[in-house]
Amino acid sequence: MKQMKSKITWRKITESKLFFPLLTLSLILLFDLIFIPGFFKVQTRDGNLYGSLIDIMRNASTVMLLAIGMTLVIATGGVDLSVGAVMAISASVAAIMMNPVIIGLELPPDLMKFMNDPNFTYSPLWEVILVTLIVATICGLWNGLLVAYVKIQPMVATLILMIAGRGIAQLITNGVRIQIFYKPYAFIGQGWIVLPFSLYIVAFVFLVAWILTRKTAIGLFIESVGTNFRSSFFSGIDEKKIKLLAYAFCGFCAGIAGLVASSNIKTSDANNIGDALELDAILAVVIGGTLMSGGRFSLLSSLVGALVIQAITTSMYALGVPAFALQAIKGVVVILVILLYSEQARSLLRKLSTQKEA
Amino acid sequence: MWQKIGAYISKNRRFIPLAATALLALVAYGVGAIFYPGMRDLQVFLNIFRNNTYLLIISIGMTFVILSGGIDLSVSGVMALVTISAAALIRDGWNPWLVILLMVLMGMGIGAVMGCFVAYMKVQPFIATLAGMWFARGMCFFISDDVIAIDHPVYTLLGRTKILIPGLTELAQARGEAAPFITIPVVVSILLLLVAIYIAHFTRFGRTVYAIGGNEQSARLMGLPVNTTKVLIYTFSGFCSGLGGIALSIFVLSGHGLYAKGFEMDAIASVVMGGTMLTGGSGYVFGTIFGVLILGITQTLIQFNGSLSSWWTKIVIGLLTLMFIGVQSVLVAQKKGRRKEGQAAAQNKRRWAYAGAALVLGVIAMIVIPKIGASQGLSLTPEANRCQLQPYRQEQAAGLIAGGAIIAYERNGGPNCVDELYAIYPDGRIVGDNGLTTTEKQVTVAEVEILLGGINEYGWFTDDLYDTWHTPCWQCYGYYLTVSYDGQEKTVKGVDGGTDAPADYWQVISLVKGIVPQFTTVP
Repeated sequence: MKQMKSKITWRKITESKLFFPLLTLSLILLFDLIFIPGFFKVQTRDGNLYGSLIDIMRNASTVMLLAIGMTLVIATGGVDLSVGAVMAISASVAAIMMNPVIIGLELPPDLMKFMNDPNFTYSPLWEVILVTLIVATICGLWNGLLVAYVKIQPMVATLILMIAGRGIAQLITNGVRIQIFYKPYAFIGQGWIVLPFSLYIVAFVFLVAWILTRKTAIGLFIESVGTNFRSSFFSGIDEKKIKLLAYAFCGFCAGIAGLVASSNIKTSDANNIGDALELDAILAVVIGGTLMSGGRFSLLSSLVGALVIQAITTSMYALGVPAFALQAIKGVVVILVILLYSEQARSLLRKLSTQKEA
Repeated sequence: MWQKIGAYISKNRRFIPLAATALLALVAYGVGAIFYPGMRDLQVFLNIFRNNTYLLIISIGMTFVILSGGIDLSVSGVMALVTISAAALIRDGWNPWLVILLMVLMGMGIGAVMGCFVAYMKVQPFIATLAGMWFARGMCFFISDDVIAIDHPVYTLLGRTKILIPGLTELAQARGEAAPFITIPVVVSILLLLVAIYIAHFTRFGRTVYAIGGNEQSARLMGLPVNTTKVLIYTFSGFCSGLGGIALSIFVLSGHGLYAKGFEMDAIASVVMGGTMLTGGSGYVFGTIFGVLILGITQTLIQFNGSLSSWWTKIVIGLLTLMFIGVQSVLVAQKKGRRKEGQAAAQNKRRWAYAGAALVLGVIAMIVIPKIGASQGLSLTPEANRCQLQPYRQEQAAGLIAGGAIIAYERNGGPNCVDELYAIYPDGRIVGDNGLTTTEKQVTVAEVEILLGGINEYGWFTDDLYDTWHTPCWQCYGYYLTVSYDGQEKTVKGVDGGTDAPADYWQVISLVKGIVPQFTTVP
């Protein structure tokens, strides 16, 4: 009887979605603990916390935001390749609203002289954020519309916005990289309240998504659509609306990520903001154990997945690996992680655990 | 008669996406030829192939991967790795032929490893090839983080050998143009396309690819070698990436880790526009060439236009992809509709989708045509603004050089129809003459030295810079630049708005443009 019980708990642990991402993260951190002295040192300056661990979390915040939305989309059996482009669009919209003078919009002359003032913005901050997020959500709705109602394959439907999105972002700013001088905006990405402010945003979005999916039936619906959309249709779930919601939410998350990213570098760089981040976000979700074919998902493990990616990057920098070599190492680590997740590795693990008990 | 056409179309419905792509490519080129006489030049048409050889090559490999229901994101990374490895090996004195062979083998190796991951480890193609892309791109920078130039007679031979096309030569001569030519990589890419068509449609391997894309489960149950075929598919895509990388390095005669960025998406878009379904199992390898052509023609149109920014390419390609996917989804709906839904419902869906496609085309037309017209279009360019290039003032330029000038620079044409001839002297004196008035400017001797050094740096006295000419559009400039430096003297002519002149020529022109004074009066 006792044996039976321990078997169940061991299986429960290894088959929890959080197990593998946490294992990977702790392996990386263990590596850092041994090879990088002072990696875990956290300093306090003006009551704020600084250190490599904080850096990992702060730099991962955009990917974490994207991963939250991406998890829901992937759980419905889809994928959203356009998040990077939506980030660029939202950054451009935000910048143009704060600093429209660049594209030759006529301003009253008494306002012109304030343009480079750190306390001046053309539109108030709440308006900037609201409009940006609405635009980003519309981008998400567009993807959802194509996937759910026009029934285009998700990878293709979102590819359209991925290709066209950067063009649209440059169209909005007329190809100019707009400098953002407005200080309160910079707080979104660069501010600290004990911890980096962007982490609070991540926590807030995560909380919203968690309540939405775990305290209402929506989460269950998403999983059911991803597992088998036909049977969920027959059990009365409006599969189309669920998909639309998932893509719209993903667009919304990408919009917030765009705000964070643009306030971090204080420009609207339509070419580089969110470049290749869609791949990072998808990877984070996959590391988090959500299957690309859809079905059961875990938001928290996706966040851990994003942290894993950033932890690799930060530790490599700390080790002094040059930036350019990082990508190759990232590629190898991805393969290792995926192999760890593969059916072969799992069955090996299962065999090991049964041997242990036997 | 309409009924007959309708019957014919419904009989050959599977060719609709292919026909739509081919028709669109034709229409796009036709529109360009109407608005920009320069595009009627045969060489400009052939340049679309020359400039997109590598895209065609990688798209062929991508077609197979997509037909099997997978995707290959690694192509751009492998291409970059091939360009830089080839450049580094050739710099170190390896035989270029051996290098090309090795690079193609390397591409195949990377493809085979990814194929094994996909086939045997059941890793999602998206993830496995993403890892491959990161790995390949990262490895580039282990070799060098700087551009490595390739300077080897074999490479120059491969890149510069002009292959005349029988028939077109006579046609061009009749029209009074220079004989149009293609290059060796173009021939290779066309041969590869033919081989790929044969493999896809006439071999057991090809049929297995379609079967896997149609339904992997049933392909397995039928006893087809699914895993082996998958490995071979990715190996073939790797082969194409390797070959594409070589073609790219021949085209730019250098290697760098940042080359070919985003090419995987261009290739996927070309394949989709060529009528291949991303779900796999349906499409034609032959269609891919039209997808590539549409991309190339869009770029050429935007280049000829001159006033449209390059990001319009992205928007137009995005919209076109949307349209093609719309047409495809209709076909799928129809297929299913015939089986399940009533005829009326299927027809209804068809109507919606055609309306959608028409709407997208309308939007593109609404955006692009006024832009084309506004800048230099046929119907909208006022008669007075049209400018015919004047003959280059060669004797006068030669006279200036003989008179001690080191640079003679002529700019001819443009929106204001100017004809300016500048002379730059070693002591920093710059004299300009536009036929009506003269202008003068004094710069320091050091500035002239920097200018000359820069021009030399761009390889002015090498074979990399050569004369080009195409029928100029009515607002394009023709350039005539003579440089005399270190006892060498060379003149290179070119016309902007086209894709034929070497990129370094425009670098040099912009250097010279930056230093010469502006005329205040315009003729």
